[in-house]
Amino acid sequence: MTTLACSSTNLSVAYRAEPVLRNVDFQVPVGSVMGIVGPNGAGKSTLMKALLGLVKPLTGQARFFDQPLAKVRQRVGYMPQSTSVDWDFPTTVADVVTMGTYGALGWLRRPGKRERRLAFTALEQTGMADFATRQIGELSGGQRQRVFLARTLVQNPDLYFLDEPFQGIDAKSQQAMVEVLHTLRQAGKTVVIVHHDLATLVDYCDHVTLLNRRIVASGQVAETFTRSAIATTYEVSEDQAAFLEFAS
Amino acid sequence: MSFVVGTALLAAVTAVACSLPGVFVVLRKGSMLVDAIAHAVLPGIVVGYALTQNFDSPVLIIGSALAGLVVVLGTEWLGRTGLITGDAPQGLIFPALFSIGVILVSTNFANIHLDTHMVLAGDLNLAAYRQLEIGGISVGPQYLYVMIIVLLVNIVFLTLTYQKLKITTFDPEFASTLGIATKWVNTAFMFIVSVTVTTAFNAAGAVLIIALMVAPPATAYLLSNTLPMMLTLTVVVAVIGAFAGFGIAYFLNAATSAAMAVFYGLLFIVTVGVERLLRRRSQTRSNALMSLDRELS
Amino acid sequence: MSLLEFFANHTYRMVFFGTMTIGLVSGALGSFAYLRKQSLVSDVVSHAALPGTLLAFLVAVTVFGVDGRNTVGLIIGAVIVGTIAVLFANGVANTTKIRIDSAMAVSLTLFFGAGMILMRVIANGEYPGKGGIQDYLFGNASVITTADLYTSVVTGGLAIVVMLVFWKEFALRTFDPGHASVLGFNGRTIDVLMFTTIVIAIVIGVKSVGLVLMVAFVVTPPAAARQWTTTLGSMVTLAGIFGAVGSGVGAYLSIAWGNVPTGPLIVLTLFALFVLSLLLSPRRSIVMTSLTRLRARKQLQHQLETTP
Repeated sequence: MTTLACSSTNLSVAYRAEPVLRNVDFQVPVGSVMGIVGPNGAGKSTLMKALLGLVKPLTGQARFFDQPLAKVRQRVGYMPQSTSVDWDFPTTVADVVTMGTYGALGWLRRPGKRERRLAFTALEQTGMADFATRQIGELSGGQRQRVFLARTLVQNPDLYFLDEPFQGIDAKSQQAMVEVLHTLRQAGKTVVIVHHDLATLVDYCDHVTLLNRRIVASGQVAETFTRSAIATTYEVSEDQAAFLEFAS
Repeated sequence: MSFVVGTALLAAVTAVACSLPGVFVVLRKGSMLVDAIAHAVLPGIVVGYALTQNFDSPVLIIGSALAGLVVVLGTEWLGRTGLITGDAPQGLIFPALFSIGVILVSTNFANIHLDTHMVLAGDLNLAAYRQLEIGGISVGPQYLYVMIIVLLVNIVFLTLTYQKLKITTFDPEFASTLGIATKWVNTAFMFIVSVTVTTAFNAAGAVLIIALMVAPPATAYLLSNTLPMMLTLTVVVAVIGAFAGFGIAYFLNAATSAAMAVFYGLLFIVTVGVERLLRRRSQTRSNALMSLDRELS
Repeated sequence: MSLLEFFANHTYRMVFFGTMTIGLVSGALGSFAYLRKQSLVSDVVSHAALPGTLLAFLVAVTVFGVDGRNTVGLIIGAVIVGTIAVLFANGVANTTKIRIDSAMAVSLTLFFGAGMILMRVIANGEYPGKGGIQDYLFGNASVITTADLYTSVVTGGLAIVVMLVFWKEFALRTFDPGHASVLGFNGRTIDVLMFTTIVIAIVIGVKSVGLVLMVAFVVTPPAAARQWTTTLGSMVTLAGIFGAVGSGVGAYLSIAWGNVPTGPLIVLTLFALFVLSLLLSPRRSIVMTSLTRLRARKQLQHQLETTP
């Protein structure tokens, strides 16, 4: 039986000559909610992108459900940071969410009624159904994040990669996001979240990976998320780590 | 001075005069803006000629440089409205101005033949035709001295504004907080670029002038880590390309500017290849470092 | 000149429908270049179409010994070399520290310089049917033949069909390239398809419009259409309509006024459409936004004054 939803061995990434990630062995058990934390520039987003093949790793490889990514693409969903696209693009909320179904459709098949219904359901889940016909440029930051989440949900993957879903969002969007996370967890889905807020990490995640260009520690929150591990990751003293944990 | 030597020198001086401001054009991501400026020169020349009836009048140069500036400022304004995305603002204004130029020429100056080659590629030999004589001795093409003056103006301008240009290129917002009038530095610089493009127009035409301005700095950029190094290499590349292009053109009986553009392009490709090879070697090294890292940990 | 007289004339009809086809195809496909923020790629392609066309001419005359003016052959040559120029510019920008603007400038001048040298070679040599190669520089709409028109309708139609067939993939890749890859679509395949259709749209226009002005056919209609629309489908449709109508009107005016070159007049018509769109479009126009801002400021001032 497979117990790992995602695993990488010896994964290294370099932009130009500077290594960003060094020999990362990253493992995510099936059904876990894994938080990735680390200081700015630690390579959190890069790790996700490298796992998903969006940046070419220098060494190493990633496997998903014990298969190469190409074989299980439809079981893996990814929500990028919302700054990664042009929000002035002429398209509606419903159109963007429908794009999540394109992977299952493959080349040439067009989205039909079924796909639009799936998109609407995903929008309802994130509380964005009322905005379906809006142009995406008219949305607030939090609403954009919820649209991206809906686009990932509509794909109905088993493994979710969410890159900073809580970045700069309003209370209502945060609420919606938390509810979806809860539903996913109950449905036994695996979730990997890049997160920057150490104080709330334990509320969402049962596993954690402390990353600073290499993996400092990784495992169950209770055992791994210790003050000394945080101090090592953020390169600060343990007293400062306590402060980080509390106030960030 | 013999005609061949004078013309070859003219090619080299023109290339250097264009490529020096070109360094900052490349660093400021404005390479395609040169394309826009160069095409706006045509209506500038036509209107200038209509006013003065004289192709040698300095009014033509000022008029064309102003037309170039219209394109630059118009493009920047369109970008600021937020209504047009990407690089589209640069492609919107200059075709309209160029069209006005073509229409003006073909409807009002039927007696002047609009030489398409001349407008797009220039003619270095024709530009070098009129020789300057001092005391009955030929001292090279008149146009050579025009380009030497432009080169000197560019050197003086770049020396005086070097620090400001450097900082506004690197971080315009930070420059503003330092009290540097970013907007004026930019406008002054683009005016200098326009003047350079206009004067070099006879030698290289609207399209190939871009090669003189962009290709040498782009090649130098690949190999440099510092601004002084980039400036030095740019001059070296510009001069080598000018003589090589002149030689090739002489041999093939083709237009000098075209041969220079092709030579610069090929030199750029070779440099890209060499640079990638060097980088791959350094990556293999960092690869090795990483596996060493792994063994140690 | 009355419309009846205009359409009774074979040459005028050819100019009218020929330029409309070019405007329609380049406007519609230009929308994707616009949204990819690579509109200026069209300038690279139109300049690289020159050596492509001339090479095809030389190959046809010297290798195959056939008539070098065969339109289909020339278009194929231009499409191949145009695509190479685009791939070169993008390849340099993606793999080195050179940014896309400089990469495009170097690509454009390299290929155009090569074209100018080839042109000199052809002009110096004894090649049958070498007349008319000058037209590619500034364009000449008055020499569009029935065969030319059919060729551009068929090739342009083909490009539009490819766009419609791969609509979903084009939209996905244009909006979020990373997402397209994650969903398992090969980004490079989509890009090659997309840019080839854009190259076709440009190449069929170069001879009539000229390589300098072709950029306006690709950039202006989408930029104008973008101001009125909120979905990709409506934008592409409207850009196609703007391109076709602007070309038709410009072509008609150039003939009706007599002795005014067609290409430049079309470009000015398109530019006028663009300026009107900037000023008048209901959602985003400059006039509307400044009016709304003024009204909001007045309202706020009023509130501040009346509430103590």
